[in-house]
Amino acid sequence: MLMEVKNQFKITLLSVKYALVREMLNKTTFITNILFMILNNASFIIQWIVLYSLKDNIGGYTFNQVLLLWGIAASTYGFSHFFFKNAYYLSDTINNGKLDSFLVQPKNVLLSAITNSVETSAIGDFIYGYIMLFIFGFSIKNFILFTFFTICGGFILTSISVILSSLSFWFNKSDIIVDTGNSLMTSLATYPDGIFKGIVKILIYTLIPAGIVNYIPVEIMTEFNINLFLIVIIFTITLISLAFLIFYKGLKRYSSSNLMVARI
Amino acid sequence: MSIIKVEKLSKTFKVKLKEKGLKGSLKSIFKPRYKTINAVKNISFEVEKGEIIAFIGPNGAGKSTTIKMLTGILYPNSGNIKVLDIDPKTERKKLAYQIGTVFGQKEQLWTHLTPYDNFKFFGAIYDIPESRVEKKIEEFKELFELEEFINTPVRNLSLGQRIRCEIVASLIHEPKVLFLDEPTIGLDPVVKENIRTLIKIMNKEYKTTIFLTSHDIGDIEKLCKRVIIINNGKIVLDDSMENLKYHYLNKKIVEAKMKEKVNLDDEDGITILKDKGYNLKIEVDITKKSVSDAIKLLNPDNIIDINISNTPLEDIISNIYKEEKK
Repeated sequence: MLMEVKNQFKITLLSVKYALVREMLNKTTFITNILFMILNNASFIIQWIVLYSLKDNIGGYTFNQVLLLWGIAASTYGFSHFFFKNAYYLSDTINNGKLDSFLVQPKNVLLSAITNSVETSAIGDFIYGYIMLFIFGFSIKNFILFTFFTICGGFILTSISVILSSLSFWFNKSDIIVDTGNSLMTSLATYPDGIFKGIVKILIYTLIPAGIVNYIPVEIMTEFNINLFLIVIIFTITLISLAFLIFYKGLKRYSSSNLMVARI
Repeated sequence: MSIIKVEKLSKTFKVKLKEKGLKGSLKSIFKPRYKTINAVKNISFEVEKGEIIAFIGPNGAGKSTTIKMLTGILYPNSGNIKVLDIDPKTERKKLAYQIGTVFGQKEQLWTHLTPYDNFKFFGAIYDIPESRVEKKIEEFKELFELEEFINTPVRNLSLGQRIRCEIVASLIHEPKVLFLDEPTIGLDPVVKENIRTLIKIMNKEYKTTIFLTSHDIGDIEKLCKRVIIINNGKIVLDDSMENLKYHYLNKKIVEAKMKEKVNLDDEDGITILKDKGYNLKIEVDITKKSVSDAIKLLNPDNIIDINISNTPLEDIISNIYKEEKK
């Protein structure tokens, strides 16, 4: 079992490595993609600088906390889109019968399918996240916590996309649901927690768990709270398990296809 | 010993029906209608160790669906499959270590990597120690003549070279059974011949059992000793190539260049295929008339040149397909 996990991990890393090599074939595009993503993210901070010049506290957040929030949102997005880019195209993979080549390999189908390519610009998001951490206040403790939440958040974002995409095994055109779900997760991730009230507040801690990916980590990094920390861990494990469960349940309904497909 | 054992295998697909136009689309939202397609209907067969078997049929006959069930890609609706005593439905990973698959229409290799790197990647997928993979690559490089392009990125290879690499990649883990789904699709005759030689070598050197689907009669004729024909999801013929030819080759084609014109219009057992005056092409049904009788009718003294041949295998097979349709 341990050996199997080790081998699976090795293949996943190798897959990511080869996908990265592919992206690096054109150096100029590779570097500009990363730099422009950092600049793109930085441009959003300008509006917050303007807002905080008028008010010290918005929705219970200081300017520094907003920076940290943006940092976590960017790094979790970057982590997930870099390592698991194909989780965001999984519904297309399922609908067009592109799982065949992974199904004949003695490895985990889901992991093989979602680690088959990387998104270059996500490296920019990832780096941007850590730049924000440095501005917020670097310490070993903050660095470890930030990295931990990046990984947990990345896994949650990926799991959500996998769960929604797996609906393709049952319904056609579920890609619309996937796109909506994924964009809700990002668009609800970068505002101070305090501005959300009522139903939206409940939603961001349950069905659209942007709160667990972004707001709880900011709270823990501002003032450590073991209970909240455990909630993040339990939620991450539950969602990952659910993603595997639903995907494998759906896989039994997989119908393949005879489309001409190339791994490019 | 049976390597592949299939019993009463069936697979159905549910397809949503939609009437034409926007109205039809709206209707299908509120009142969806489905049609069940029986892609594979209750088929049974066995394949022995070391066999090269042709699994053929017209488009949409159920070939790919069957091959996909045998390799664990699709779940059957009913029936039993054992490949090397492993059930693809429940032990997909275990089976994957033992079988190789090449889908001519689908590419498994990373196109930006060289065949060498791809082979190493496949070695890692099958948990083969690096030293053994290196040894295997060396062996294949010589055996399958890959030297020339083993370090060229796959995207720069010709289709033939690419397919050759696809097949070699599927052999890295020394599979006991190799499933080839139209491996020669889109290849020129020389490359097709190369691929066939490669398949023969695999079967001879490594005793690999080969399960082949192809529309290319040349593949079937030159490689396989046994043929299974599937049509409309059912097996319509499971026989040796020899028997197939023997039973279906009861017609001979006689082409003759004549000194004088001959009239064979009302002869029983003879069908005139082409009559251009002095050049005649006839089909002789040897159950009704022997070839020698047919030649006698032409009058041997009257013949300048003659050619007697079998009905091409391609025609035999398309006739079987057509008979099923009726």
